[in-house]
Amino acid sequence: MITGRKVAIVGMGGAFPDCADLSDFDKKIFSGKSLIREFPKAVAHSKQVRSMVAGYIADNDLGIEPIYLVEGFDWPETFVDTLNRIPAINLATADLGSVWAMIGALESIEMAGWTTAETQSEKTGVVVASGGGGHVILRHAWHAFYELGKKSRMAGSHTVDRAMSYREAANISCLIKNKGVCESIISACATGLGNIGYAYRLIKFGLQDRAIAGGVEGTALETFVGFDAMQVLSKGFAPAESSRPFDIRRNGFVCSFGAGIVALEEYEMAKARGANILAVIDEYFNNSDGDGDMFYPSYGGQKRLWQGLAEGTHIKPDVVKVHGTATPVGDILELISVVDTLGEDGYHISAPKSQYGHMLGAAGSVELITAVLMLKNQQVPPCLNSDTLNPELENFQKKEGWEGSMKPAAAYRHLIQQETVNKEINQVVCLNYGFGGTNSAVAISKDV
Amino acid sequence: MDRKEILAGLIEVLRTVRTVDPAKLENVTEETDFMTDMNTPSTELINIAAKVEQKFDVEFEDEDIDELGSKVKDIIDLIIKVKARTEAERGE
Repeated sequence: MITGRKVAIVGMGGAFPDCADLSDFDKKIFSGKSLIREFPKAVAHSKQVRSMVAGYIADNDLGIEPIYLVEGFDWPETFVDTLNRIPAINLATADLGSVWAMIGALESIEMAGWTTAETQSEKTGVVVASGGGGHVILRHAWHAFYELGKKSRMAGSHTVDRAMSYREAANISCLIKNKGVCESIISACATGLGNIGYAYRLIKFGLQDRAIAGGVEGTALETFVGFDAMQVLSKGFAPAESSRPFDIRRNGFVCSFGAGIVALEEYEMAKARGANILAVIDEYFNNSDGDGDMFYPSYGGQKRLWQGLAEGTHIKPDVVKVHGTATPVGDILELISVVDTLGEDGYHISAPKSQYGHMLGAAGSVELITAVLMLKNQQVPPCLNSDTLNPELENFQKKEGWEGSMKPAAAYRHLIQQETVNKEINQVVCLNYGFGGTNSAVAISKDV
Repeated sequence: MDRKEILAGLIEVLRTVRTVDPAKLENVTEETDFMTDMNTPSTELINIAAKVEQKFDVEFEDEDIDELGSKVKDIIDLIIKVKARTEAERGE
């Protein structure tokens, strides 16, 4: 292991709901727009699902055209890239999310300014994953096999590569032809940040010099249905008002889809070649709750997460980008773990899921990109719909053994703004958690 | 259905396979080899077989596929053989 290496973020890209590209995303987020719309795939099954909204990207958005094998059967055999970014041979092995991942990788490399030799080096890695399986691809395969009794070949020869757990990393690697690491780190809703954190460590520890890293969640009604069945999705609000982190009327998260990809590079190398350093990663830390609960967030786990992060770097964030999903328990417990760590003043809390919902495996990476944009714009985007904070204590605060703040959420109104805030931002801490009690945190700073 | 009609239908199928270069479909004959002449990725051959089954309303046996050669005439022969076999089974 080499010591003393720093890691820079030098490129970004991806696929963002209701946005043409990254610059459109930047514009919409900091002007306070919601990217959440009525979800046609859910509406088509309106008698079977509870939630009707999502931040989604359709099969034929972003210059991509799906080729349907059977008219009226919602299963793209492959895709055509009308903008000629991705060759047909690579599209043949990709599900929708992998197509976005490849687009995001190319955008990141272009922004980074890596040469072909640098991109294809043994010291360039790919660490990208999604939270869900390749549901859209698998549904067709299993239907043809089990329901229709067809030969296995009717599923096509690409069921494996289009649906395997590390399909996004594999597709990116085959496209950009890097010779270093190609892996996926999968940790539910912490996936997006987890992959970037792992790639950061690969570079910091001297195993790689560059990496394409991030998280993806391809639009899939199957994914949506899984969460809808758990009754954890927002219901009963107009689309733009559906995602309500911290608000007293919040009743679940908005299931969203997208991709966030970044290009990471060893800091001195990036500096030496005159790269535009978008941000420096100060530290990444992850841990587990250790309380045996698959779903319920842990105050203790989150407190230990902050302690672990602070052991590796100086933590004084101007903004804390929280996980803030708008589920009834998670938001306020997270708010209090932040306040109990940092104090009650001197920073703002940003919950970008209020604008684009919960992108699951892409959440951590798209939110990190949002944090990098905060450093660039010197602005905190608004926490939409956080209209009323509870003036009463939460139930968990009344339980015996509770060790955190005894103030209600309303006491922290000043930290959560509903309008875009202009301020000096030098450091942002990003937090993401996932089922299984996994917690992840990263601190990023402006290059000085 | 004669061999010419089957060849025309087969080319229609190949046009839907994105990894086959459309330029290579201009001069396809029965002697054209999928692997050496058309550079078809081997993973696509099974997709072509599955599409041919749908297009010509036949179902190949696994042995048919295992023994299939890589020339266009091999797949035309197979379609004719399986069509005859299917009709015999249906008592047509």
